[in-house]
Amino acid sequence: MMSRLLLLAAGAALCLSLNAGCSRAPEVSFNEDIRPILNERCAACHGGIRRQGDLSLLFRHEAIAEAESGLRAVVPFKPAESELIRRVSHSNPEERMPQQDAPLAPEDITKLRKWIKNGAPWEDHWAYVAPVRPELPKVSESDWAQQDLDYFVMARLDAEQLEPTTQADCATLVRRATLDLTGLAPTPEHSGRVCNGDAEFEAYVDTLLASPAFGERWAAMWLDLARYADSKGYEKDIGRTIWRYRDYVIDAFNSDMPFDQFTVEQLAGDLLPDPTESQLIATAFHRNSMTNTEGGTDNEEFRVAAVVDRVNTTWEVWQGTSFACVQCHGHPYDPFVHEDYYKFFAFFNSTADRDQDDEYPTLPQFAAEHLADGEALEQQLSEIEASMLELMTEDALVGERQMWETRLDEPEIIGRVGGMLQAEVKRIAATSETERDQAQRWLLDYVYSGITDDDRLIALREEQSKVLKQIRALSKVETPIMRELPFKRRTHVFERGNFLLKGTQVAADVPASLPALDEATPQDRLSMANWIVSPENPLTARVTVNRFWAQLFGQGIVESLEDFGTQGYAPSHPDLLDFLAVSFMEDHDWSVKSFLRSVVLSATYQQSSDVTPELLERDPRNILLARGPRFRLSAEQIRDQALFVSGLLSPKMYGPSVMPPQPEGLWNNPYDPSRWVASEGDDRYRRGLYTYWRRTVPYPSMATFDSPSREFCVSRRVRTNTPLQALVSLNDPVYVEAARALAKRASVADSPVDAAYTLAMGSPPEIGIRDILQGLYENALTQYSDASLAVAQDEPAEAAALTVVANAILNLDAFLTKE
Amino acid sequence: MHACHNYDQVSSRREFLGRLGLGLGGLALSSLVNPAAGFQTQFVPKAKRIIYLFQSGGPSQFELFDYKPRVNAMHGQELPESVRRGQRLTGMTGFQNALPLARSHFDFAQHGESGAWVSELMPYTAQIADELCFVKSMYTEAINHDPAITFFLTGSQIAGRPSFGSWLSYGLGTENQDLPAFCVLITKNKGGQPLYARLWGNGFLPSSHQGVQFRSGRDPVLYLNDPEGLSADQRRMQLNRLRELHELKQSDSGWQQIESRIAQYEMAYRMQTSVPEVTDLSDEPDYIFDLYGEAAREPGTYAANCLLARRLAERGVRFIQLFHQGWDHHGGLPAGIRTQSSETDQPSAALVQDLRQRGMLEDTLVIWGGEFGRTNYCQGRLTDEDYGRDHHPRCFTLWMAGGGVRAGFTYGETDELGYNIVRDPVHVHDLQATLLHLLGIDHERLTFRHQGRRYRLTDVHGELMTRLVA
Repeated sequence: MMSRLLLLAAGAALCLSLNAGCSRAPEVSFNEDIRPILNERCAACHGGIRRQGDLSLLFRHEAIAEAESGLRAVVPFKPAESELIRRVSHSNPEERMPQQDAPLAPEDITKLRKWIKNGAPWEDHWAYVAPVRPELPKVSESDWAQQDLDYFVMARLDAEQLEPTTQADCATLVRRATLDLTGLAPTPEHSGRVCNGDAEFEAYVDTLLASPAFGERWAAMWLDLARYADSKGYEKDIGRTIWRYRDYVIDAFNSDMPFDQFTVEQLAGDLLPDPTESQLIATAFHRNSMTNTEGGTDNEEFRVAAVVDRVNTTWEVWQGTSFACVQCHGHPYDPFVHEDYYKFFAFFNSTADRDQDDEYPTLPQFAAEHLADGEALEQQLSEIEASMLELMTEDALVGERQMWETRLDEPEIIGRVGGMLQAEVKRIAATSETERDQAQRWLLDYVYSGITDDDRLIALREEQSKVLKQIRALSKVETPIMRELPFKRRTHVFERGNFLLKGTQVAADVPASLPALDEATPQDRLSMANWIVSPENPLTARVTVNRFWAQLFGQGIVESLEDFGTQGYAPSHPDLLDFLAVSFMEDHDWSVKSFLRSVVLSATYQQSSDVTPELLERDPRNILLARGPRFRLSAEQIRDQALFVSGLLSPKMYGPSVMPPQPEGLWNNPYDPSRWVASEGDDRYRRGLYTYWRRTVPYPSMATFDSPSREFCVSRRVRTNTPLQALVSLNDPVYVEAARALAKRASVADSPVDAAYTLAMGSPPEIGIRDILQGLYENALTQYSDASLAVAQDEPAEAAALTVVANAILNLDAFLTKE
Repeated sequence: MHACHNYDQVSSRREFLGRLGLGLGGLALSSLVNPAAGFQTQFVPKAKRIIYLFQSGGPSQFELFDYKPRVNAMHGQELPESVRRGQRLTGMTGFQNALPLARSHFDFAQHGESGAWVSELMPYTAQIADELCFVKSMYTEAINHDPAITFFLTGSQIAGRPSFGSWLSYGLGTENQDLPAFCVLITKNKGGQPLYARLWGNGFLPSSHQGVQFRSGRDPVLYLNDPEGLSADQRRMQLNRLRELHELKQSDSGWQQIESRIAQYEMAYRMQTSVPEVTDLSDEPDYIFDLYGEAAREPGTYAANCLLARRLAERGVRFIQLFHQGWDHHGGLPAGIRTQSSETDQPSAALVQDLRQRGMLEDTLVIWGGEFGRTNYCQGRLTDEDYGRDHHPRCFTLWMAGGGVRAGFTYGETDELGYNIVRDPVHVHDLQATLLHLLGIDHERLTFRHQGRRYRLTDVHGELMTRLVA
């Protein structure tokens, strides 16, 4: 796909031999030859958005139908009768398509003709066809492969007549795997044990997978997708307590929760039978959408905005599809129509949250110090409520209840029902008793228990409210979660995406172009979640393994992690992607640890990342995987490394987010009195993922190293290289403190300069590096020893000089990079 | 600070080409592979840079530029429903029993040969009326601050898109390798609506295009200063050694990207000199402080920021974004707007004059305006001395100067009650399209591929307002 675009843009010379699309069979393929022409040259006017002349070329039935003119763009088997061919090859520019644009290349017209002559066969885009396990290909060097996946990489290298690079040296490999799996550098001891042969690399990988740091490292990646933040977003952007969700994600990775379960719990944990607290906390995934607390805003507008965000996020995270397009109109390129969006929207449209300042509904959990009291009170409460329910099924009350129900539409009765419930009760009143569904009957139970005059119920109600009051008085951590309303909100198509312009009403469903939902289950969020992880879903496993792959290799097999549609990048290794996807589901049973283990133990992963000028020119971005990965660490990892190697990093896990020191005056929101109060003690040195994440005022050093604001789901952080980053790692007090601590740690060694480097990189410096660092140390020592030059008098010259060296080490490209 | 220069990945160039293939199909390849060139502009640009004087909170057009004698005459009478036509109000006046029209507390007069109406609150601005292009018919879609300001500066009410300055940095690159292409200056110690990083954020563009906030304290840019105990000589020596280490690494590993790491550290070092140099106003002569006002001597004031903006413009910074908060006068409007005007009138006018006298006004575009206007009716209690006005998205005034806009010109007109536009409406996207045009960019062609589609500042809208162009 991409190479085609390049081809069109810049001429054939640029068609790198990196893409399967370049070496095509002589037969015309719809996906490889025709769709790119239609998308690139036609879809802007004749696609899912604009259907000029009532013609769309998105689906076959549209392309062969009569357009406004009465003519058919495509008449299968008959190019001469096809209006498409007549118009693209017309000599009169007024008549010719595309209008006011360069005419199609003659070879493209030939392809279109040939394709129509063949009957104009349509093909589904590869990503919408479920992956099938490919056979292991034959390769030239089968000894090279360590894992099945290596065969696919090798086969491609064979085709390109390239050789893999030799294995990385042990210390580099240990550092690479340690950074990838735990987000931290290896200690010199660990590195030494593996590289001296005292421990097997494979066994070392298992210890990394078992380390609690594993969950923290992978949670950091997931939190970008979950758009996790400690604030609500929008104008006021005041604080939000949702860190238990972050802890849930850490635990899920550490306990190796199967990815399908992880998915279902986050999307619909509240709808699982008897959900556990952890499953409810999981649903906070979709409570990470923003809440608008600005004065004078319309709560419905921002409730809808949150639902829209949930739909878009779900599609981006699990389906790698830019569904947001379809909010306003049919998808311009991919097979999704406008209604599809709102059908999917309906899955999310009946949750109880509605842009309230208090973030209702929440899952309160007693703060540690009130746990025992709280649980006792909860027990009491559930007993009271059981008695209430029991009473309501007694004959006497059932009679009264029935009377009450028949009079629902009377003002005297309805008048006693409060607030937002009133409309729903009116609706129920208008429904005959036999037609009321369970949720409606349940709602009436609830309303009735609140307004009946029965003495016993009144007494119980009073007791109930007393206990509730006591429970409320105990301090709690309230995590926003998803809760389904007892009734369904109606879902309409919003014309042009505007929530005030309601079109036809729709029911929850998945897009018609993808496998159908299980009809045997209720059409709710839970079935939708199960649909996402069903083996028939063509996207979920591919999208997921691609994400993990990208974390290890720097880019995905499909580079556009967020877009597997026709406008995304084509996979560099289609069979490898399908193999990994099927293997993830079937061989690894959705186990993330087992999957990552197989990749880290592969020959592909273990190649050296050093590169020859020839290979660099041939494949500058390492698409072909003829060498190992090499790229700059993430914002969190850079911070964590500096603290870790200097011995400052706190191993403390979980809990409320912390505020490491940041410059004064960044938080100046006049509507929000909260202030950044630098944490004390250990909390100054926690891992980056525990840093308080305020969406509108990001922690500066993290934002500088490309962390997103987390207002929305982000699949890919674009890695940049700016001078502001150098200023952070040179001058940010956090990094200066780390340099000082690293120097102090190293100062006890016989050769402090060597020691500082070894602590930072996990292995001692080569001679050339050592000489330069030693030279730096001696220069600095001379300067600090010279009283006239001395700047800092309060520390010995040796310590000051070593700090200068440590500061340089923490700024080495090699330190900031996974090699 | 340039796009293709600083991508960490070799990837960038191919992506860049791919994106251009989609976005700016007609460009010559040579202009793309020259990293210093940035995007080639599509027309001959009239302006090279923008200084945007953003007046945050929504300044009232009734007290400043949009003279409405009819409102004065109908003072205290109810806003006719025939005028309002069911328009959505904010939750703040939506429940008010009455919507009485409120006259301006301040007198108006016509100024210059162009005869522009300017109130007595803006005497300095009035003096340069013939340099200015007033747009009386701005309108927006948002009615609350956050979406409105986000809309104005990113083209979308919903956060997450790149800001205007980031688009320009991405599109045009920088003219100065020692300073960021996009600088942000915020008047210190002002209350009002919060200003957040997203308003100068890079959205989905590479973060090298984000605005860099200049601050008035010891560190004009975060972490600019060397740590205590490290002299400038020592830093230089340390960076020399770091460079040697990087060169060694590059020859061992063959990894080209280390070059950009070296360049990154060198530019950081140059910024350590160039930023203090540009922010130090002490070399400005007295007559300049006379022009901008005495407040310009105090770092962090609006006046000092206007002067700093000129210095940044002189050094080739592409987009200089000022923010001045405090225009949100729901109540106490007469006193409030008097203060705001006295803080901003003289320095804004001085900036235009100063650019003019340096020959820089031709290619520097100055914009003054807020995120929306204010209502013709009173919010809260209406007395002879005091009143307030609510947010009004349907019309408001903005002015521009220099950079190829028509000087001494007033565009668009509101009805006699100043509620609706009756002639030549200018939507926010139209303004953005026009500003980009002045910089030589077709707003439909400056695009970036993200999440499966091409994005642009003007979304799928925006029309060039040719009559605003000189």
